[in-house]
Amino acid sequence: MPKNNINNETPMEKLMTLAGDSLLNYLAAAAREQSLNNADTLFGQKEEEITPTFNLLGPTLEQRKKYLQIALNNGLIEAREIISQLPQSEKILIEVGTPMIKIYGLRAIREIKMLSPESYIVADAKVADLAEREVALLAGAGANAATCLGVAPLETIEEFINACENYKIDSMLDMMNVESSIAVLKKLKKLPSVVILHRGVDETEFSKEKVIPYYQIKQIKGRFNLMVSVAGGDTPLEIQSAFFNDADIVVVWKNFMQADESIGQLADSFLKEIR
Amino acid sequence: MLLNRRLKYLQIAFNRSLPEVETMINLLPPSDRILIEAGTSFIKNYGVSGISQLVSIWEWRLGHKGYIVADLKCMDRGFTEVKAAADAGASAATCLGLAPIETINDFIKSCLEIGIDSMVDMMNVEFPFEVLQKLKKMPDIVVLHRGVDEQLNKEKMIPHHNINRIKGAYNVFISVAGGEGLKDVTRTFFNGGDIAVVWRPFYNEPNLTTQLAEQFLTRIKGHAKE
Repeated sequence: MPKNNINNETPMEKLMTLAGDSLLNYLAAAAREQSLNNADTLFGQKEEEITPTFNLLGPTLEQRKKYLQIALNNGLIEAREIISQLPQSEKILIEVGTPMIKIYGLRAIREIKMLSPESYIVADAKVADLAEREVALLAGAGANAATCLGVAPLETIEEFINACENYKIDSMLDMMNVESSIAVLKKLKKLPSVVILHRGVDETEFSKEKVIPYYQIKQIKGRFNLMVSVAGGDTPLEIQSAFFNDADIVVVWKNFMQADESIGQLADSFLKEIR
Repeated sequence: MLLNRRLKYLQIAFNRSLPEVETMINLLPPSDRILIEAGTSFIKNYGVSGISQLVSIWEWRLGHKGYIVADLKCMDRGFTEVKAAADAGASAATCLGLAPIETINDFIKSCLEIGIDSMVDMMNVEFPFEVLQKLKKMPDIVVLHRGVDEQLNKEKMIPHHNINRIKGAYNVFISVAGGEGLKDVTRTFFNGGDIAVVWRPFYNEPNLTTQLAEQFLTRIKGHAKE
């Protein structure tokens, strides 16, 4: 090892270099011993009950209204900036995006709920398995709605819808990469609160020919009593098209990706569109 | 690929709370044949800091860096998630076989660039072959999977028959998830699977972590190619 590295070592590292493997082994054995002692008390307890405290009196969606859902995907600092620039409106829903949840965990939902306690928070967790457990965690963190993948096993989707009902949050079923949304909905015993028609970001980037299936909005709303959300459009024209085609919620993210001064104005103009 | 193609592995998925997972990992026998999986709900709970905690706990237990799988189940925007998991110290990440082909291709490319193993999870995919045929490049590992919620449906079987069909056509490692007993793990290795993923026995009886892991490891040794 080069000399300067030794000089930069912390006291703990120095001790380890001096004592070599025997100390490491001793410490690892001590950790194991401690774990054995912990095991009985730790695993004897029941798993912590998760009580959804925030969402019982929180904002709710109304079927006749139109909403703009703003997806936050770019880290907590930018999320803070974006939220600070948004106009106060019950018609603006805040989405904690999938990368945010996977990078920060439930902390992302908790912090955004703290920043904007009055807002309706959508946790875009894209549940694909273990639905009950995930919904419990998301609801416990303060989400008002959670998303599940329409391509997930039917058992998972049903478990998800039931769990959302139990935890008093809205269930959103994301139809990304689903060929026939109606075929999925027909198989379900219970309907979700919202269906999301979705063109993924990668799809948008790499396959320009894939379009958002607006025609499905009316098909779905004609057959089922639920709200339809449209995600994957990122131009004002696409947002107009979505509402014109009877979408209840439009999800935007690209224009909101980088926080800048125009965010407030953008949200204002979207709000005008949906009036 | 970071794994040795000649060896068989046991992947243990963790979804309990961090203090519990830490205790359980410390109870595991220190073996390179054990891969530690940060389960999807664990990641959604703790984020990438949860992954880096598992990396250091397992490294401490093994005495050197171990293999950590981040079960991200990517469905879109693979690069962001893969990069974050790799930065946290993960050795592999998962993408859903149900995701758009563009996402899977981008996921595999990102994993290769970043230097971690790519796993494509075929949960709820009726014909894994059809997905593999459409890809520009093969992933390192294909996961044949019966989901936890699907296990409520007794008719759904783990597709062991697909293992040799896929391995016959493509040079990939096969991991099998969704079988939980010793019998299932034996069946996985007997049918040519390279990695058996287990979850429930450890989740249900964390107290027995040491004994369970040792039992499962004997099944690997029985099928070692060394």
